[in-house]
Amino acid sequence: MNNSSEYRLQMSDISKSFGIVSVLKGVDLNVKPGEVHALLGENGAGKSTLIKILSGVHQKDGGKVVLDDKEINPKNTHDGQLLGINVVYQELSLVNDLSVAENIYLHKLGSSKFWMNWKELYEDAQKLIDSLGFKINARDKVRDLSIVQKQVVEIAKAISEDTKVLVLDEPTTVFDPTEKEKLFENIFKLKEQGISIIYISHHLDEIFKIADTVTVLRDGVDTGSKPVADTDTDGVIQLMIGRELTDLYPARNIAIGSEPILEVINLTAKDTLVHDVSFNVHPGEVVGIAGLGGSGRTETAKLIFGADKKKSGNIKLNGKEINTSSPSDPVGHNIGLVSENRKEEGIFLPLSIKRNISITNLRGIAKRFGFIDAEKESLKVNDLISKLNIKAPSAETPTKNLSGGNQQKVALAKWLSIDSKVIIIDEPTRGVDVGAKVEIYNLINEIAQKGVGVIVISSDMPEIMGIADRILVMNAGTIYGELVKASFSEENILRYAIGEPLKN
Amino acid sequence: MDSTIEQSPSTLSKVFQFLLKYNTIFIFVILVIASAMLSDVFFTAVNLSNLLKQVTGIGIISIGMLIVILTGGIDLSVGSLVALLAVAFALLVNIFALPLAIAMTMVLGFTLGSASGYLVAYQKMAPFIATLAMMTIARGLAFIYAKGSPVTFQTYGGKYMSDFANESLLGIPKVALIFFIIVGLAVAMLRYNVFGRIIIAIGSNEEATRLSGIKVKKYKFLVYAISGALASIAAILVASRTNLGSPIMGVAWELDAIAAVVIGGASLTGGRGTAVNTLMGVLILGLIGNILNLLNVPSYPQQVIKGGIIIFAVLLQRFETK
Repeated sequence: MNNSSEYRLQMSDISKSFGIVSVLKGVDLNVKPGEVHALLGENGAGKSTLIKILSGVHQKDGGKVVLDDKEINPKNTHDGQLLGINVVYQELSLVNDLSVAENIYLHKLGSSKFWMNWKELYEDAQKLIDSLGFKINARDKVRDLSIVQKQVVEIAKAISEDTKVLVLDEPTTVFDPTEKEKLFENIFKLKEQGISIIYISHHLDEIFKIADTVTVLRDGVDTGSKPVADTDTDGVIQLMIGRELTDLYPARNIAIGSEPILEVINLTAKDTLVHDVSFNVHPGEVVGIAGLGGSGRTETAKLIFGADKKKSGNIKLNGKEINTSSPSDPVGHNIGLVSENRKEEGIFLPLSIKRNISITNLRGIAKRFGFIDAEKESLKVNDLISKLNIKAPSAETPTKNLSGGNQQKVALAKWLSIDSKVIIIDEPTRGVDVGAKVEIYNLINEIAQKGVGVIVISSDMPEIMGIADRILVMNAGTIYGELVKASFSEENILRYAIGEPLKN
Repeated sequence: MDSTIEQSPSTLSKVFQFLLKYNTIFIFVILVIASAMLSDVFFTAVNLSNLLKQVTGIGIISIGMLIVILTGGIDLSVGSLVALLAVAFALLVNIFALPLAIAMTMVLGFTLGSASGYLVAYQKMAPFIATLAMMTIARGLAFIYAKGSPVTFQTYGGKYMSDFANESLLGIPKVALIFFIIVGLAVAMLRYNVFGRIIIAIGSNEEATRLSGIKVKKYKFLVYAISGALASIAAILVASRTNLGSPIMGVAWELDAIAAVVIGGASLTGGRGTAVNTLMGVLILGLIGNILNLLNVPSYPQQVIKGGIIIFAVLLQRFETK
């Protein structure tokens, strides 16, 4: 079917499983030279796995990858780079203690001559960065750069004379609109040079601006490729979720209490950009916090929770002021935080589900002298496992063996085990597949219905609009605007997020 | 026919899995059998009781080492602490009544351990560095207070202790009984107590533990203090066995303790390890030394063999975790 010369990259019938979970089930992806190919799909649809197979991080179980008419099989990222496949991942992978130039040419540092020509290295790096149109000194340490500059360095690193396929995974999350424009200009330039670009983004407006073709993945299957000109936002969303939006976000009986359960008054952080944050949460209410990456959403959560240091401001629980100078204080007051970094901050991967859930409730399950009442603990843990529908062979299963969705339920369960009054959930469905997402949304509703005040932080706009009763939008470390349900729209959130008033 | 072909590898692999899972105990049993075959003296009451007496000191500090390692830390100071505390006990028992001398030595051990704990938990110093410094300080203090030579027991209290250290109860040396009681307490604390839950959680993911509302610093502080207190018990028993406290006691014991914990399958990054397996690690190390002595193997080849066993044990565990 495909004329071999037409495409630079052909991935056909790619399949991949991790353990019993099959992530990719026969995916095709064909990219022409000089094409910007958008790869779309929800979290967990298999985008990153597909890219990691292309770049050599993962090995495919089945299928074929052909680059310039030659079958390739990169065993690691170095192989991939030698073949001309460069990936800019969402997570930054820079070495903080090295200079910008050293980072850009890191892959060459080991393999070149015995002595480095530092002058040339810095000059080349500077030229490359200047050509991208950003102001960064190639001699600066990466540690001292802003997050935007780091992202630019990451992109610069991926562009070299041998690049044939460039993958950009959500490159713009930290960029403001002008910076985005600059990036797009660069993408057009690269395109003219004949480089094939695979562009992953959740921002559909970007896709329609720069992409030529779009491929949508859903649950490990590709739903086909289309020229961008032949489709529109609704069509793409339809393909991505494969069902109506209303199914995804369950309706609920909202019974919001009149007296606020949590009051945050002029909260200002000592070490982060968060300042003068004030808001209330009522029992039974789901309050969303939206904003762009770097706007201070997560930092606000950590500040309330005592994980970051406070400079000034007050927090009241049920009308009484509480002190939250370390996380043990809010936990003592039954305030819970489900972190966005599940694996680093949320759960204990090697430990059992039981130990994960009980960690917040050790006082509750202990008898005299801190000895654990095994029966009480099992009862409590098994009750939560069945209530939250955590799919695992037993309570003793290590959480590292669970899927992302079930891990997230465990992270949530540990706050339900102490009957939290307020639960802050940062990115409730990051790395969670669609089916489990719905379960988590239902859970959030149930929790709220019990009179808990829920704060949900999310960068997924449809998600936050689907589950929140009220959305606070943050910009530059403070709450810029508040949206009631009637005025929920992606546009309104974005306007507040970039610090603009709403249009009438 | 077909079924037998399918059956046998699975039973075999089950046996293999079982052996891997309990590999520490398995190695121990093999060593006991091998020792009994290699030497007729091995299975005599005198030899076994000697073996137990010999491992008691290192065994007790290994339990302290285990709880420190479970949090992801390390305590290099314990060997030197044994020397300092042995000297301290010998000096104290010559002045004060025995119970008071014991109590003071234990408080001193707890305090010295607390110093490391304070540096690690509250000053965020790397455990390796903090306890390395404490190791040097304690060794130096031991020499200073002993004035360079061993301090012998001279009072009735000292004599009582040295008798105690060389007596047996039901055929088991009393010092070894104390070691076993400590192992038993450690099992209870690590398996059935909130304390064990928390220190394993810290070693497994410190930040998640902190964000679960646990006062991580307090527990990190405590494990070093407990390790110091256990070093004081080891010091009292070791000093009592020889009737003196000497500043050259416990040299490199911290390394043997780490080896015992690692042979017992604990992870040096924290979060994994049990007291029973550490006991096995202690016995395996002691056993190797014992049988090689009985076979008249000189001490330098002994060290080589010891190192080989450590590597073997850890390689075996790699299969297990896969």
